[in-house]
Amino acid sequence: MVTLERPSHGEISVCGHNLLGGSEVKLAKAELGYVPQEVINHGYFSTREILQFYSGYLGLLNNNKRIDYLLERLALYEHRDKKVKQLSGGMKRRLMIAKALVHSPKVLLLDEPTAGVDIELRSSLWEFVKELRAEGTTVLLTTHYLEEAEELCDRIGVIDHGRLLKLGQTSQLISDMTFRRMLITLKDQPRSIKTESPHLKSIDGKELVLEFSSHLSVGQIIDDIGVDLNNVLDLQLREGSLEDAFIRILDQDGKEV
Amino acid sequence: MASHKLEESIRNLRFTPFITLFWKEIRRFMKVSVQTVVTPAINSALYLIIFGVSLGASIDTGYDTPYLAFLISGLVMMGCLNNSFQNTASSIVSGKFSGDLEDLKVVPLGYQQIIWAMSLGGITRGLMVSSVNLLVGQLFYYSYYKEFFDIQSPGLLIFFLVVGSLVYAKLGIFVAFLAKSFDQMSAVSAFILQPLSFLGGGFFSLNNLSPFWQKISMYNPVLYFINGVRQATLGASDVSVRSAVVVSLISLVLSHMLVLFILKKSQFKRW
Repeated sequence: MVTLERPSHGEISVCGHNLLGGSEVKLAKAELGYVPQEVINHGYFSTREILQFYSGYLGLLNNNKRIDYLLERLALYEHRDKKVKQLSGGMKRRLMIAKALVHSPKVLLLDEPTAGVDIELRSSLWEFVKELRAEGTTVLLTTHYLEEAEELCDRIGVIDHGRLLKLGQTSQLISDMTFRRMLITLKDQPRSIKTESPHLKSIDGKELVLEFSSHLSVGQIIDDIGVDLNNVLDLQLREGSLEDAFIRILDQDGKEV
Repeated sequence: MASHKLEESIRNLRFTPFITLFWKEIRRFMKVSVQTVVTPAINSALYLIIFGVSLGASIDTGYDTPYLAFLISGLVMMGCLNNSFQNTASSIVSGKFSGDLEDLKVVPLGYQQIIWAMSLGGITRGLMVSSVNLLVGQLFYYSYYKEFFDIQSPGLLIFFLVVGSLVYAKLGIFVAFLAKSFDQMSAVSAFILQPLSFLGGGFFSLNNLSPFWQKISMYNPVLYFINGVRQATLGASDVSVRSAVVVSLISLVLSHMLVLFILKKSQFKRW
């Protein structure tokens, strides 16, 4: 999307502007903010100068109010005269974000922004991303941390070797692609259990392990296998996670290939 | 806190990115002006002392003017070419190393804008160095002959300086985009560009060469740039003004085509 790689096929439009050719490329690029995975070292220039130049690249000559706002918001204001090499790892990462936001883009592309980042910075980065989202910025996040994607994203796409395997609402994707897992501990040995039920995975004495689609309710399953509720001592339910969905999507794709 | 949205600023995607890149190129070399402007001036002064003052009396170029004036015009052009090349090449190579070259691809800058903004940055440095060289040369000339030498055609001088530095600035972009390492960059500079520059007649006249080397030299475009400047400053040169103008303009078109080709092919990735 940032045109650093040449696309093999397909098309990309940003806010209705074609990004890959024609007269609208510049308009499309002007709506994009990009935070690269690797920090960029800008040599001789100070933090403030970097933001001023980047602002100019995006068509804004006098953008000091926005630059000051971002420097303050990202706790870089007192470091505004330092060069990149004089900043800590966390500050460098925040500078990359400030650069990407200097023109108030409608779409923000974050390329694994928390890779190798400490817990505190990661947490503050996500808070900021949530604020941007609340302000109306579309955030496109690439990450290997699936728990983050599950918590932050409204929609998720699974990409493997450059192919988009699945795209959908986060909750829908998880519900479609995962099973609920239920562990039932009985008071006494089970008597009238339907062992032929496809949902029953194992019986170990008084413990039953069941797996079923997210679309089915616990009540339906208990009825289905014929467990007497008066005989239930304990019941644990684990919902499917994005990680489970991810693994299943890749498995399915592997089988298809 | 208000987030200061875009409405507060007027956005211009046509000229502002171009002007910004041009300004950044100038700021970049001015941050290290001792290295980029003062050092070339000192080098020129050393050449003037060694060749112009010490050995000059024993060199006969076949020109009516003293060798010192002959050398000054050569040094002015060589300084201009080398520094134009260095400016664009080092900017791109350091951008490849640090990663900020990627910025140029990500932001709304067209290939022509990148080429011309960087080339103008190169011209600015080239013209600054050549002006300093001319000034230093004039001081040397005055200290030796108690008068400044006249520039015969200032317009022609500016033409050759601008076109020559544009060609070399574009070659700097081309070579830097093509290079895959610092080694490759140095190799092109050391094995191709520096020999062309030093054998382009900055220090000697074609009259000093054997007929064979005279013929070979005629294929060196730097010879035409330097002799163009020599014609403009001294009123005499080894080649005709017309051929110097034609070769300079052809070199300009070719260098622009080369650099446009490499930019379209390149992915602006870091090393």
